[in-house]
Amino acid sequence: MIKKTFKVPDMSCTNCAMKLESLEDTLDGVREINASYHKLEMVIVYDENKLTDDQIIAEVKKKGYQAILA
Amino acid sequence: MSKHQKTPIDPVVLVLIGIVFIAVAIGLAVIQSNPNTVNITNGSGTVSQLLVAFVTGLTTGGLSCLAVQGGLLASSLAHQIEQDYAEQVAYGKTHRRVKAKAPVHSNSALPIFLFLVAKITAYTLLGALLGLLGSYLTLSPTVRAFLMIVIGIFMLGNALRMFNVHPIFRYFSIEPPKFITRYIRRTAKGTDTVTPLFLGALTVFIPCGVTQAMMAAALGTGSMAMGAALMLAFTLGTSPVFFVVAYLTTELGSRLEKFFMRFVAAVVLILGFVTMNSGLNLLGSPLSVQNLSRNLLPSNGGYATETDSAQSVAANEGLTLQVQNNGYFPRTIKAAAGKDFTLNLITNKTYSCSRDFVIPALNFYQLLPDTGTVQVSIPAQEKGSTLYFTCSMGMYTGRIVFE
Repeated sequence: MIKKTFKVPDMSCTNCAMKLESLEDTLDGVREINASYHKLEMVIVYDENKLTDDQIIAEVKKKGYQAILA
Repeated sequence: MSKHQKTPIDPVVLVLIGIVFIAVAIGLAVIQSNPNTVNITNGSGTVSQLLVAFVTGLTTGGLSCLAVQGGLLASSLAHQIEQDYAEQVAYGKTHRRVKAKAPVHSNSALPIFLFLVAKITAYTLLGALLGLLGSYLTLSPTVRAFLMIVIGIFMLGNALRMFNVHPIFRYFSIEPPKFITRYIRRTAKGTDTVTPLFLGALTVFIPCGVTQAMMAAALGTGSMAMGAALMLAFTLGTSPVFFVVAYLTTELGSRLEKFFMRFVAAVVLILGFVTMNSGLNLLGSPLSVQNLSRNLLPSNGGYATETDSAQSVAANEGLTLQVQNNGYFPRTIKAAAGKDFTLNLITNKTYSCSRDFVIPALNFYQLLPDTGTVQVSIPAQEKGSTLYFTCSMGMYTGRIVFE
């Protein structure tokens, strides 16, 4: 398991953070996601054997946001 | 400019903010200078308070609540819509002539209705608790004033955040604890009847700015029944807008949604400004809009001077202030400096908050009878000084000028 931080500069409210955190229920390989509207970032703990950074960025894009590896 | 770069502050936004401030300041100054203000609060003070709460919910609370709580509802609705669509597709495969399409509205009315019923019930109970708490706390006018100012600043910050004025205003948004949002999110996946009810009740953990101001008002009532009634009136007011916008939300499109959010932000900005101003009035500050305008602008009249009632002074009857449902008259009293006098507060079927009379500088506050006269001893004041008086909500104001 590894932990990485992604910047998500286009969050506009706390609801956006909740939407991103929902990925922990749907994305295979993710153990935990903590998204913060205040910091405009999400910290994700995931299994690097099941999931890549590009896949995470793609899934965040499907939610309507731009994720940038910090 | 790349998509993720923040745009600089929109000059139109700055101009809009400036216009809002100036318009509200002028409006308050004009209203205060005319003693014959149109009164929309005739009758029982309780009824007028509830009416104001309802109208606030109807006009702004609904949209503001939707901005914060709409996501909860959308989560539940989205799952419902996906479920309906999946069923339609499955039906389409077995009945090839049927064209599958997402039934956006067919099942969304009931969950929205249940959501709102639960939300109204939860907030009414919260109002009762706050009122009960308020009865024990007995907030003094000074504490209430600081509470209003803090809430006003919070609302202003939220409005500026919604206008995207500067990244620092993000911190005015309350982020609920992760364990609550995680629990709410996972519960939102359910499509049964209980889920929207449960989600509606959970909205008490994520009140919007306008709701928080109403919650503070419920606390200030000091009454379980009144606190409950206030929150019931407010959330009832939010419901029609919430229902209509949530129901049509898939049809709105992003442009119209952006317009709504800017409208909400503008109204929250005004409300925040008004709340802060009320707090300043309650502190007896010369910096509130009413007191500042009264000091700077000539009044249209409505003075009472000591010379006008020289005989009453000689008889030690003092000066008179009419406490009416729509405020205090005259709004400015001139008194002689350097000597004590008595201020007669006269009520006559007065039921509005003007009965809750406060002179902040003297730490005097009293709930006047609805009809009668209460005498207040005003100690000698220096020449050129001003004593401000106000109702406990910081809405109706006036001053005594010592010459």
